[in-house]
Amino acid sequence: MAKAYRLIFDENLCIGCQACNVACRLENDVPEGVYRLQVHVTTQGVFPHLGMHFERRSCVMCDEPPCVSVCPTGASFQSKDGLVHIHESQCITCKYCILACPYHARFINPVKNVVEKCTFCFDSRLSKALDPACVSVCTTEALRFGDVSQENSTVAMLSRKETLLFPKAHLGTKPKVCFIPARKGVKV
Amino acid sequence: MSPMWGSTAQYEVMHWSWAIAVYLFLAGISAGSIIVSLLVKWNRHERSNSSIWDAMIKSGTLVAPVSILAGLFLLVADLGRPLSFYWLLIRFNPLSVMSLGVLFLLIYTPIVLVFTLLVFERTIVKYTWLSPLGSFIEWVKSLHSYAKTIEYFLMAAALCVGTYTGFLLSALYAIPLWNSPVLPIVFLTSSISSGIAVNILIGLVFFKSTINTESIKYLLVLDLRVIMTELPLLGIFFVGLLYGGGEVSSMAKAALSHGGLALVFWLGVIGIGLLLPLATVILALRSHVYRVGYILTNATAVLLGVLLLRYYIIYAGQIYLG
Repeated sequence: MAKAYRLIFDENLCIGCQACNVACRLENDVPEGVYRLQVHVTTQGVFPHLGMHFERRSCVMCDEPPCVSVCPTGASFQSKDGLVHIHESQCITCKYCILACPYHARFINPVKNVVEKCTFCFDSRLSKALDPACVSVCTTEALRFGDVSQENSTVAMLSRKETLLFPKAHLGTKPKVCFIPARKGVKV
Repeated sequence: MSPMWGSTAQYEVMHWSWAIAVYLFLAGISAGSIIVSLLVKWNRHERSNSSIWDAMIKSGTLVAPVSILAGLFLLVADLGRPLSFYWLLIRFNPLSVMSLGVLFLLIYTPIVLVFTLLVFERTIVKYTWLSPLGSFIEWVKSLHSYAKTIEYFLMAAALCVGTYTGFLLSALYAIPLWNSPVLPIVFLTSSISSGIAVNILIGLVFFKSTINTESIKYLLVLDLRVIMTELPLLGIFFVGLLYGGGEVSSMAKAALSHGGLALVFWLGVIGIGLLLPLATVILALRSHVYRVGYILTNATAVLLGVLLLRYYIIYAGQIYLG
């Protein structure tokens, strides 16, 4: 049966340590200066009512990916499990997919000169039933990953319990990455 | 210094640069000049000249292949991996406007080249090293009973090429300033405008002997109509964005009011590209004297304006992402 992967990012648990960011770089050999994953940390509010905001930026693995439909060569494709990948050899680096992505998740790998993005560590980990590197190193369990179609998986249980927000949901891209928003608001 | 999470430079890259703007301009010129040549051929060919081909048809068939080939070269050179461009030819994705564009160009470019050979037959047969082309031209001429059908087909292909460059951008809902249904029409209109300008310009410079003042007048009237269409279309384009709400409105406002790019729009696109030609065309038509100075100014201003419109749209779209 096809998988229904989901990655849940809990803003309440994130401390902005960037361990995920570093693990991603090591696991996927991401060249200097470019990133598949970043957690942007901002301080919001007015002293003394301050709060931290954590924004995880990466590919959100859309079920309806605009990057796949615009690709003229089929280099950008969607697998049976709904994951979006790139055939490096077929990518002509026309950059159309980079512009089509509402999440700005794609970039050019300056070494290989092809378009690159998060793959959920498919080749090196997920295909061996391991969690993506970012999830495996998360120090506070702010990142949870799994198959929501499995009723007892952590992500399925979290999805039943928590309010999930899907980034730019109004665009109809149906991301597989979602987040639990911070419960503590910042009073201004 | 980069923040804790690292450099954010990758989010600010202009992935489509001036090369794409120039390509859109060249593709528009090519399609526009062929559309204009065909219009002249169909509507303005009763006069006999020293040549059977009017100067406007000659310049159109000269400009169209040169500009589309130059544009395609630029397009391939701008790819991150130019040598892998062949994937565009062996793969086809009907959902991708870029893929559809490749299809249109594969139909359009050869027909344009054949049309050019036919128009310049007398020049070509003068050169012995071009003699193999002579027999090819004879073969094409044997198909003359299909000429009108092929011309209609070429017109359709040119309209597709002129329009697809707009759809190429408007298909991306990630970019608020491009994602407008009016953009393809704006691009087609300005392509026709640039086609008229370039045909008049090349016609005056290279084919003066076969210039037919009637067809120049026909083109100037057409140019007037096209400019009078393009101005309100640009207005509708921006009004549509400003009424789009949320970040679409704020991005459109910023693109129209901030920095050098807004200046490019108001001074370059509107001032030089539309209002100046409008004034010169009206003057030329009213005085009935088609002074070379006027007409050259008009044509140059139109071309500059069309190029700047492509440049403005390409950059503004990528800068004002929301």
